Amino acid sequence: MNMILAVCGKGGVGKTTISAVGARGLASRGVKSLIVDADPAGGLAMALDISPKKTLNDVRKELIEEVKAGSRDERDLAVSVDYLVAEALAEVGSLAFLAIGRPEDVGCYCKVNVILKDAIEGLGNLFDVVLIDAEAGIEQVNRKVMGSVDYVLLVSDTSVKAVRVAETIKTVADRMVSGEGAGLLINRVREEGEAKRVAKGTSLPVLGWVPEDDTVRRFDAGADSFLELPDCPASGAIEKALEAVELF
Amino acid sequence: MGLFDEQVNAVAAFVRDKRASGELREFATGERKPWPEGSSLVLEEDSALEMGNPRIASLSVLLWTEGDIGDSGRVSIVGPDINEAADLSIPFAQVLIASGEFPNEYDSFRDLRDAVYDTHLSGLSVRTMPSKQTMWCKVARDARAAGLSLVDLGAAYAEALRGVEGVTAAEALFVTSSAADVKRLAGAASGAQRLVDAMMKMYQEQNFDCETCEYADVCDTVMDLKKIRSKLADDKAV
Repeated sequence: MNMILAVCGKGGVGKTTISAVGARGLASRGVKSLIVDADPAGGLAMALDISPKKTLNDVRKELIEEVKAGSRDERDLAVSVDYLVAEALAEVGSLAFLAIGRPEDVGCYCKVNVILKDAIEGLGNLFDVVLIDAEAGIEQVNRKVMGSVDYVLLVSDTSVKAVRVAETIKTVADRMVSGEGAGLLINRVREEGEAKRVAKGTSLPVLGWVPEDDTVRRFDAGADSFLELPDCPASGAIEKALEAVELF
Repeated sequence: MGLFDEQVNAVAAFVRDKRASGELREFATGERKPWPEGSSLVLEEDSALEMGNPRIASLSVLLWTEGDIGDSGRVSIVGPDINEAADLSIPFAQVLIASGEFPNEYDSFRDLRDAVYDTHLSGLSVRTMPSKQTMWCKVARDARAAGLSLVDLGAAYAEALRGVEGVTAAEALFVTSSAADVKRLAGAASGAQRLVDAMMKMYQEQNFDCETCEYADVCDTVMDLKKIRSKLADDKAV
């Protein structure tokens, strides 16, 4: 039984960094994992210093060409998309990385979208863990990547706005998440009192808090892969939260 | 006459040449214990061997015939088997031939094709691109260490094809010797592809305006396609 975890939250709260540190934890433990960068900006690819040759949107375009050619039925298309998605995977150790890419307006091809989503779900079943760095909310994950996820890791910083966005995502997620639900990880905390204040002001279950960390800040600013991040207080806090939800 | 007579004959000629030059090995699979089934995704770090990377050489084709193909379940290999490959990535061609009676070629095509698509061996990751006739495989280290052979793969395909209604015999040919050998089969494969494409278009579009159809040439020259076209046109007229 695998686990599908989506990292969601307001823009700029550190979802990608937390996803990257999560990927680092999975890689260091040798867990066979599919890491999905569902943010069109491709931030997770940069954070992990991975350059995928093609994105899922490229696959979508190729599949549309197959449909336009007209001589393939749905079974052939489903087999083709497995092939094309496999081509789009960039591998690092036990991790396989898939970037969703920037959607382009190439017309409405519902059949293609359904086939693609089925393919990603089928692919996900072949991994022990699927970790999704979401663009924002769970709706986008549901629409573009997976029909259901097991756990939504809500990320906020210590601002009220970010916590409210997390709460809104949780409300939507309650209708869509098939697993145990969602929990809040409070990021960029300067001192414990801040985290306690945030926890007190929300009904969300709090998984933990991540301290501001110069090591993470340095990796964020530079070009080094987060897979090479040394152990630091922030990575320890993130891994502890992920252990709590049994990601590893 | 059969839909793929020309292609089956071309493959048979290739096999004869390779047998004559001593490059062909043939295996009966009747008593062979089946390799465990299972969908696999083999990551690079777990991969012992890659076969059919399209950058090297890759080909996959499925043919059927009403002619006699001899021993059912026969697997023929030209080139190294999985445990013999010296390189990490080798060329790969797969030719599957089913023999039997196929009164409805389109239904038979879909049943045979689906039987192939539904065959998955544990420790072997297979990805197929039908429009390019490519098949890209990765063999897991564990599977290679446990003795997974192309004979197991061929036996599994033969068994799956024999499960399709009308099929009385099936065989597999694998070519891993060189990109040039794979290329020798490309003509037969592309010919088969064009016939299948023409047949799929007939069934899916039900348009028999031969003046505008890009497959008019094959329909005009292959008797079985002519028959399919006539039958579909008659059915549509009723």
